[in-house]
This record gives sequence, C-alpha cells and structure tokens, in this order.
Amino acid sequence: MKTLDLSQNYFELFKQPLSFDIDLAQVHENQQKLQAEFHPDRFVNGSDQDKRLSVQQTSWVNEAHQTMINPVKRARYMLEVSGVDMQDESETTSDIEFLMEQIALREQMEEVRDKESPLEECDDIIRHLKVRLKDISDDFSNRFGLGDLETAKLVSRKMQFVQRILEQVMDLQFQLEEEYS
Amino acid sequence: MALLQISEPGQSSAPHQHRFAAGIDLGTTNSLVSTVRSGKAETLPDANGHVLLPSIVYMGNEQRLVGHEAQKFQSDDPLNTLSSIKRLMGRGIDDISQLGDVLPYEFISDENQTVPRIKTATGAISAVEVSAEILKNLTQRAEQTLGGELDGVVITVPAYFDDAQRQATRDAATLAGLNVYRLLNEPTAAAVAYGLDQQHDGVIAVYDLGGGTFDISILRLNKGIFEVLATGGDSALGGDDIDHAIGEWMLQQAGFETIDVVLSRRILIAARAAKEALTTQNTTAIAVNYADQAWQGDLTIEQFRLIAQPIIKKTLTPCRRVLRDANIDIDQIAQVVMVGGSTRVPLVSEMVAGFFKREPMSDLDPDQVVAIGAAIQADILCGNKPDGEMLLLDVLPLSLGIETMGGLSEKIISRNTPIPVAKAQEFTTFKNGQTSMSVHVIQGERELVSDCRSLARFELRGFPPMVAGAARIRVTYQVDADGLMTVSAEELTSGVTADIVVKPSYGLTDSEIESMLRASMEFAKEDIELRMLKEQQVEAKRVIEAIDSALETDGDSLLDESELNNIFQHRNKLEQQIETATSDSLKKLIKAVEVASESYVAKRMNSSVVKAFAGKKIDEVNL
Repeated sequence: MKTLDLSQNYFELFKQPLSFDIDLAQVHENQQKLQAEFHPDRFVNGSDQDKRLSVQQTSWVNEAHQTMINPVKRARYMLEVSGVDMQDESETTSDIEFLMEQIALREQMEEVRDKESPLEECDDIIRHLKVRLKDISDDFSNRFGLGDLETAKLVSRKMQFVQRILEQVMDLQFQLEEEYS
Repeated sequence: MALLQISEPGQSSAPHQHRFAAGIDLGTTNSLVSTVRSGKAETLPDANGHVLLPSIVYMGNEQRLVGHEAQKFQSDDPLNTLSSIKRLMGRGIDDISQLGDVLPYEFISDENQTVPRIKTATGAISAVEVSAEILKNLTQRAEQTLGGELDGVVITVPAYFDDAQRQATRDAATLAGLNVYRLLNEPTAAAVAYGLDQQHDGVIAVYDLGGGTFDISILRLNKGIFEVLATGGDSALGGDDIDHAIGEWMLQQAGFETIDVVLSRRILIAARAAKEALTTQNTTAIAVNYADQAWQGDLTIEQFRLIAQPIIKKTLTPCRRVLRDANIDIDQIAQVVMVGGSTRVPLVSEMVAGFFKREPMSDLDPDQVVAIGAAIQADILCGNKPDGEMLLLDVLPLSLGIETMGGLSEKIISRNTPIPVAKAQEFTTFKNGQTSMSVHVIQGERELVSDCRSLARFELRGFPPMVAGAARIRVTYQVDADGLMTVSAEELTSGVTADIVVKPSYGLTDSEIESMLRASMEFAKEDIELRMLKEQQVEAKRVIEAIDSALETDGDSLLDESELNNIFQHRNKLEQQIETATSDSLKKLIKAVEVASESYVAKRMNSSVVKAFAGKKIDEVNL
C-alpha cells in the first residue's frame, strides 16, 4: 500500500497555507479523500502489515484533521510548527482583566446548580464562551499574520483557558442531565 | 476436478471467485442474517420462513436449542431459557445486580473469572457463549442458503457499546468460528440500508430503539461517505423497559400475593403482547394465570401512553446531547431515520417527530434494516465490489481515560473522536530500578473513576532498570476501526518495548476463550460432519455441472458411445445419491466420475491446447 509522508506538517497534508483562517470545506474534502484511500475498510483482505499500516496512517490523518478543525488546537500547532516553544506550561497570563473575567466565569459555573433551570444556565454560559473564543481567535489570527509570535503565544494561552472552561461547563451539563433524567 | 475447469480456451477458468459474506444483527430480542445476492441485500429466512431468530437459547436439554425452538420453553422453564442476553455482554456481576429483576437467572462468579456465568440445568454458561450459539445458528442458515462457507461477516453492535461490550461480541464470533470483517454500529448500518447517500447529501439523525438498547447518531452524508458526527444513547434502555413498566402496572391491578419466576415471566410475555397489540388497537385484553392466581383486564391506549411516556422521554436527553456534540441545530437535520422494533410503538414516532420537528422515516422494516445495512457493508469489505465508493467513518462513543491519583479519571481520547485514533502519553519511573508500571484504563464521561466503566488493567513489564525519573515511558492507546482499544508501551531512551499483561475487568481472558473453543469443538463434532457432508454435496453438484457443460460443448465430437456411456453411468450414480449418501461415499462417487472422465479431460486439453497456445507463453495459460 501507499505510505504517507509523516514528516509533513498538518497544513501541508491538507494543502493549506500556514494561516489561522483556513478553508474548512477544502480541509474536509481532503480528509475524506485521505480516508477513502487509507481507511482499514480498504484493507480487510490485506496482509497484517497493510492492516497495521492502515490503522496507523488513518489515526495520524484523524489526529491531523482534529487539530486543523479545532481553533485552539490549530493555533497551538501553528506556533509549534513556527518553532515557538510551547512546553513551558508554568507561564501564565498576566492580563488582569482577562483573569478577573475567568474568575467570574468560574463563580458563575459553581452557582449553576442553585439556579432554577441549571441546564439552560449552562447553555447561556456556553453561548457566551463560544463568542469569547471567536473574539480571541480573531486576535490570534491578526497577531500571527503580523508575525508577532510572542503576543500570538500569549493569545493562544487565553484561547486554551476559554476552551478549558468551555469543556468544564459542557461536562457539568452532561452530568446535570444524567442526574435529572 | 481441477482439470475440467479449463473448458473454454482464452477464458480464465474461475473468473472471479465470488466470496460469501453476510451481515448479522445480533439483537437483544431478535437476531437476523442478511446477504447480498445478485446485487440485492436481503434477509434470509429459516426453513419455516421466519426471518427473525428470537435471541433465545434453551439450556434444559443436553442439546442446546436456539430461536423459536427455545422460545417454546420460555414460560414453563424460564430459568433454563436464556433471553435478552445482549444486556449481559461485557458486563460484570455488579452490573447485573443493577439490572434488578430484568433477568431472572441465577449467576455464578468465582474469583478467577471476571465474567459471570448463568446457572442452568446443563451447566454454567456465559453471555458470550450464549451469543455464540445464536451466531452459529445464523451462520448455518446463511451457509445452507448460499451453498458455501462464509468468508466473513459484519456484526452490528449498538453505537453506544463500550470497549468491553464490543470485545465480548468479537469473542462470541471467535467462539462461533467466524471471521469478522468489522463490527459495525447499528445506526450507521441503518443509514447504509436506506441508501440515503444516493438520494442526497446532508445531515441525518438515526434513532434506534431496540429491545434493550437505545442509540442516537448524527451522520453527515457526502458522495457515498457516511461520516458519523456524534453518537450517544443508553446501552441499558429499550422496549424491554416498557414491558416491565406494563408488568408493574399489571401487578398493581392484579394484587398477586406471591410472584415467582414463572409468573413474572408470564406477566412479561403478556405485557409485550399487549404493547404490540396497542400499536394498531386502542385497547387490548390481558390475561395471566399461573397456579391458583389469575387476573384479566383491559389496557387502554391512554393508560399505555401514561406508562410508556417516561421511558420514551429518557431517550430525548441523549438526542439533545448528540446534537450539541455534533454542533448541529435541529433545523439542520434533513432526515430522521427510525430503527429497531420498539419504534413501532406510535408514541415513539410521535415523540421523536415532536423533538426533531419533522416526520421520521420508517419505510424499511425497522427489524430488518440493520441487518440489511450490515450485508451491504460485508459485500463491499469481502471484495465483491472492488470499485465501491462507499465508506463508513465512525467515532469513539465514550471517552477513554486512565485512573490518576485519588481515583480521578484523566481523559485520553474524548467521545466522538473519529476512529481509528491513537494517543500517546509519557510517564517516568518514581523509584530507582523500577522495571514495571500499571495503567488502569476506563471508559466514560465522569470525573470519578468509580463512576466510569473499568475496561482493563495493563501491566507494562520489562523496562531496563534506571534511577527514578530517568526513564521515559511512552504509552500509546490505539483504537481501531471496530472501536476496540489496544495499549502498547516503549521506554524511549533504551527503545525497549514493554511486555503487556492485560487483565480485562469484565472480559474473557485469552485462555478462557481457548478452553471454551475446545469445549465447543467437541460439542461441534456433529456439526463438523454435517458441514463436511454439505461441502461434498456442493462439490458433487459442481462436478455434475462441469461435466454436463463440457459434454454439451464437445462430448459428441471427442468421445465415442462407450466412453460417453461410461461417464454418464458414474455421473448419474453420483446424482442419484447426492442427497442420501454420507460424505465419505460421496467423496468416492465424485472420485469415480473423475476417473471415468480422465481420458476425456486429456482429449479436451489437447484440443484446447491446439486452439489456445498459439503465440502464448506457457505461464499465461491458466491450467
């Protein structure tokens, strides 16, 4: 079977320029072409080696696709590809306004259970967070486009903060639903 | 009899070996087998014309009975009549006690076995073995209909099945001696059966309410590609629960004093019959009697709706959740497809229509649609359709994680991630000279490990001893296209790969499967003889066909009368005895035909050689 060049980066794999604003429709189309060629269903009667290779290669393609379509993962990956060290997790944001906002959101989340309709309350927070994420993403796109990688890195941290709290609210909603049903 | 197959010069003797493949829907209540013949997928009936095989195995006799045969014993010998066994697949003894009274059986589990066994009159049996009996029965049906051995099968599972439940299904197939091309998620199979990809591109929802499981999947269709965006459900919610609720209502009405397993089984059978009657009627009469207790009454549709409504409502929570996970609004859904026998209940389609704001599709038989889709996929996977465009892309239904300090879970791969998928994590050692470590893998969405499902503990052994913190151990979690997980580990500085010992939390170990296989082999001696006979019969028919078609072409020109007579004599003798002879004597009869036609074969070869070899190298000629 054909083998993929695993040394190319995800943007090269999906034939996109290294920019935050990618053509998602094209990424999706390329993803389906790659799956159609390498998916394990195409090697059901193949050798064990082909089967293994197919699982490995489609796993890599799927990981690449998930990174491309998720703005937070994509931003982080763009910095990595550009040679920015993303390992030092100790670094935190020093943007006081942003920190206050985060604290307020966490408080709001903790009070969800006491609200009259906690599920709808979660929906409201999720909606708000998605808008925030979009705003910060636009900021990232600008900074990266200008080549200001240091600021872009700080902004990508903010994206991760918002993403994390978004996931927490969704998990909370999931649990609330389970408790109520 | 290979030589006779050279028949026509210039043509390959076996143009394309058509492989036999089947799709199997291994259901809670009923199971089906389906296959593609002459381009059309169809479910296969048994000798009595029944397409549905009740998923019931009777263990009261030495001879295990499956399906309708077993069902006859259900009301009189419920403890030895095993039904709704799918609910036990990949489940431990603790889960079973949570199922409450749903299943009347007595369970045995000892410390060496994580998989509980059901106590029956003829011995203890696991859910995996019971399922294997059902699979064997369906395989036999398919092979008899097709006249040949199955090359492989696609078996459907609820999309919401976790790793342990999928593994248990695969184990059952191993016990039944089946080659499984793929485990296919039931909602995806249904979407394939509807051929929705050919009609339009867009987003669809598949609502699948079976006897004991509920699945909801959101798929995007695009040029033959079925891409699952999100899937959800409840692997312990189904039409059975409506039966139970009716049963409880009946008990309230009847005020029975003592309830034993026979009575409660009879109540459930009556409850199911009432539910089915109310799909077309507005009221139905129910009667139950056992020993000196009897009750009869009417169940109206209004009362039924009150009883069933809370259960059906429970399915709407996962519906909301998958829409959110798929990031799809209700008005983006182009079609809602109904699957599973329980969607026959009018209240179900009513509530689903209300939720999705559109009339659901139910043109295909909801009992058969999953098996049909599986057959279409099996036909493609076995290679009968090499240029098929169709491709099914599925997702992991439940997040995979590991146990960390304090009994908390850490997610490694989130639910609804497309599969296959692999994630790696790095660990280090915390003691000097440490050569092993253990990883507890769990599945589920909750924060506490105790609220998630334990899949397995992996012992990673054989790392070179180093000072604490020096080792870099990379653990890779790989989920394949069946949704099944494997773990591998490597120490990066030395390149040493770990030996892995898997302790499944609720699964059979390899040695357990092996001993079951051995036991079933002995059990299956008769099956093997039957199979050999079938094979010889198929071979005999093939030989007769080959002889006949050869004789028709050039028998008169190549043979004189006595040669012809000699061949005919043996050919006719074989034909006469085809249904009555044993496999050994059939073999001899076939041999006799071959011997009688040896000189004919030689003559044919010569004449073909003359015609066909002109200008060809010897290895181009297919002998």
